[in-house]
Amino acid sequence: MWQIFYSIKAALRFRDYNPQPISIRSAHEWMGQFHKGDRRLAGKLLSNVLYFSEKETRQILLMLNAKLMARLANAGVPAKKTVYVSFDETASSSHMMLGMLRDHGALLQRGCNLRDSRDIRGLQEVTNKLEDGAIIYIDDFIGSGRQFGKARDFAMQFVFGNFAEFMLVPSICEEGKAEIEARGVEVVARNVHLKSDRALQATSTFLNPEDRERATAICRSINPRMALGVEDMATMVVFYRNAPNQIPALLRGNKNLTPFKGLFPRTTDLPFEKFIQQPKRMRE
Amino acid sequence: MLVPLTVFQSKGQKTFSILDGERRYRCVLELTEEGRLGKDGKPMRLPANVVEPPSKVAGLLYMFSIHNIREAWELMPTALGLKTVIDELKPPDNKSLSKLTGLSEPQIERCRTLLAFPEKFQNMSLDPDPVTRIPSNFWIEAKPVIDLAVEKIPVIANLGFERATDKLVEKYRARKIKSVIHFRRVIESYDLNEGDPATLARVMRRIEEFFLNPTVETRSAFDEFILDKKRIQSALALCNEFIEKLQALKVRHMADDDERSDLRSALKQVRDYCNRLEEDLRGSDDPDVTTAVANVDDTV
Repeated sequence: MWQIFYSIKAALRFRDYNPQPISIRSAHEWMGQFHKGDRRLAGKLLSNVLYFSEKETRQILLMLNAKLMARLANAGVPAKKTVYVSFDETASSSHMMLGMLRDHGALLQRGCNLRDSRDIRGLQEVTNKLEDGAIIYIDDFIGSGRQFGKARDFAMQFVFGNFAEFMLVPSICEEGKAEIEARGVEVVARNVHLKSDRALQATSTFLNPEDRERATAICRSINPRMALGVEDMATMVVFYRNAPNQIPALLRGNKNLTPFKGLFPRTTDLPFEKFIQQPKRMRE
Repeated sequence: MLVPLTVFQSKGQKTFSILDGERRYRCVLELTEEGRLGKDGKPMRLPANVVEPPSKVAGLLYMFSIHNIREAWELMPTALGLKTVIDELKPPDNKSLSKLTGLSEPQIERCRTLLAFPEKFQNMSLDPDPVTRIPSNFWIEAKPVIDLAVEKIPVIANLGFERATDKLVEKYRARKIKSVIHFRRVIESYDLNEGDPATLARVMRRIEEFFLNPTVETRSAFDEFILDKKRIQSALALCNEFIEKLQALKVRHMADDDERSDLRSALKQVRDYCNRLEEDLRGSDDPDVTTAVANVDDTV
């Protein structure tokens, strides 16, 4: 009964999850992997997931950007004095978000500058030319903030002008926010994902202690090394295009979907033949 | 706090950046974390003078000053920063550039060497990934070797500077140059055998092979030409002897003005030579790159 109820709910809420489409059937199969007594707990945990669909992500990015641009314009920083910066590996979420904002927020038409943090020469040239303005980093989600911090610290050694720095991001963990703000970068986010918001963190009251311990034990049995995700952050934020690597193993599952098939596998968790060789329509 | 901080606010930003007084700020922050409050029982408030944000060049000169006092700046950002100062202020020579930035003249020379490489090579040192980054010291240490090879070896001269540099990059990527400091063995081999034509001919052939064969490793190729360690021991002994003998002469309190002046100028010469030599002997691998490469090697 619970299995059907939560499967319908999951299919309705997470239906545009990109790496692996979520249907009533796939959600039902996911729940079926738990012992009967644990299924309700797994379903309950899904209610704690903060899901950002494609439409919602786009709307939030556009809204945050519009507010920030208006604020900068009021302070005397026109669009042509802004540099939007993506970071991390090529085609990572940061690049996707910048592409989305470029197209839907008409960044190029407004005269904004777009660069990648790995293109140090390009970043240096544009900031040297502008002399002052604003640097706006983009991503969909920030976990610990360390990955961003490394990329930013390296790139900023080569920026000599006077630039206010902002991190535009729909959702950010409180740990990441502190890490980024310590660098003087102002966080512009819709949601700050507090530890107490995460069901499997000790400070959360979402589950009672027994349920939390049981859920943590299930995570450990699935993936002992990354039970609660990277650095045990146990984040519960999932984006339509991928799940962060800080989510609990119970949601993410195992690599190659074996032996435990996660509801929100990361793109890199999918088996090659399933993900790469078949177009999305065939997979569905 | 007796002396207010100096801060500025970048356009559009809510927070302030400290221009002067970061240590005072951190001190008060730590005191607050320890639970110390102001006289009014509230968290301590810091007086600050808010000034206009610095211009690009002023900010850059300020960065040079910070890096001279605290943590040394990496070579590549220093070089690019220096280039900006040169482009903007056009200082006539290294001396005035040194005054402006606080960098020593040998440091400026190193930066100029780095900037003399085509952008294609400079960009290899701008790679954020330490595993694939070519450390900026690579270019400084490789330059004399490339110059020597291009000047003295016809085959390498035919390749030209860029292609000869490509060969060394290829060798570095193949991990046949374990440390960029090992380039010094090539020059040392040449210098030590300049008076011995037969050995020098072998050195030149080895240098040619070193460029053309990516599998030839620096130490294995040149160690046989520089096995004589006596020079270093002699130099160390000379340093000790110099100090001991000078101390024994007890000249510290000499009164004669002319003699003092002569000695001071002689000591200045010694100091300048020693500073220069010490600068030349400096140099190390980029710790980020070394660690990253070692980690990759461990996982392979």
